[in-house]
Amino acid sequence: MIPLIILLSIASIFFVFLIWQVWSRYAPRREAALASQLTPIDLDAFENLLDREEEQFLRENLSSREFRSVQRSRIRVARMYVGALSRNAGVLVAMGQSARLHSNPEVAASGQKIFQQAIRLKVWCMVSELRLDAALAFPAILSPAGGISQQYLIVKSIAGNLPSQVAA
Amino acid sequence: MLWQYLWIGPHVLLLGVAAAMFRNSRYRNFPIFFTYLVFESLQFWVLFGLYLRKLPIQTYTNVDLLLRAGSSALHFGVLQELFESPLTNDASLRRVTAPILRWITALLVLLAAVFIASIYYHIPGQRLLQPYLSVEAFNVAQCGLLVLVFCWHRYLRVRIAHFALGVMLGLGLVAGSEPLIHVWREYVSNQNSKIVDCVQMGVFHVAVLVWLCFALASDAAGGVISSLCVPQGAEGIERIAQL
Repeated sequence: MIPLIILLSIASIFFVFLIWQVWSRYAPRREAALASQLTPIDLDAFENLLDREEEQFLRENLSSREFRSVQRSRIRVARMYVGALSRNAGVLVAMGQSARLHSNPEVAASGQKIFQQAIRLKVWCMVSELRLDAALAFPAILSPAGGISQQYLIVKSIAGNLPSQVAA
Repeated sequence: MLWQYLWIGPHVLLLGVAAAMFRNSRYRNFPIFFTYLVFESLQFWVLFGLYLRKLPIQTYTNVDLLLRAGSSALHFGVLQELFESPLTNDASLRRVTAPILRWITALLVLLAAVFIASIYYHIPGQRLLQPYLSVEAFNVAQCGLLVLVFCWHRYLRVRIAHFALGVMLGLGLVAGSEPLIHVWREYVSNQNSKIVDCVQMGVFHVAVLVWLCFALASDAAGGVISSLCVPQGAEGIERIAQL
């Protein structure tokens, strides 16, 4: 009887999870407050943390122990930046998804663009977080890669144009 | 009578789901799920034909197993389709995520096989290397993948499409209840096994009804997302340009 009880418990947890997902799908969201959830990000500072030349300079001028320590600190800070970018991308995804349903076709088209680019940014943030985690473990061998900030600037510029389209 | 209805009814309704999907062109967004519906219906008619011709039980069981394997493979395809649904228009992103999903699927199947083997190890008189147990392991892995698909949407902050949610619910009902019902069958006598069969078919019937309801409902019904956020949040959106 024990196997049946174990499976029953696991199945119950799974079904509760399904019900919760359905409930949260239809629960009202405070869409209007989305923009206020965005976090300001200093992209120059972020780029600097992932700059290969900067890294090379540190590698040449510091002892290997010091380099590992400094590089780990830089990667930790870069990971915080990527985390913030990822959260902002999430907000932009939700915003784009809402804007896609707007009655104005221009806004809807921009919403679609924001949605696609923000999803792309979100996935790249996920991949970058994994890369940074690996680089944190082996700071002397692996180098954290950049390129995310460019993606962020694209989404941001499309989203930044939305208010003028809405006003038009 | 109930037994016959529960066996035939859902498979007829499956054709209704397929027809509804065809009518509102949802088959374009969910081609694998559409294929699954057609396959599941055909599977039933093949098995029903074998049943009517009163072929030996061994032949019936072998064909059933073969078709179940096909059905299970299509389940995995549907789950992949659901996982990739937020990335529909981005082939390069799908190329990035596809290997991740494949590895996770392989890992989940392995874990599910170990889990199912450990469950059946404790049931007296059970042989571990039974073909039906592999199907149960796949069902457990599919539950894990379904949880992953929900978490993936949550991570991306994508609101799951109305119909996709229906597909996930139906799949979850079937995949989540099958292993439980299979173990339950081990504990009941042959006389009571018809009750277990009825419950199993009843669960599938509910899943088909869920698919039918979600297929018939328009997206607007599920589109609780209002279009108000952009104009009313315009002041807030202006912040984006400054961030």
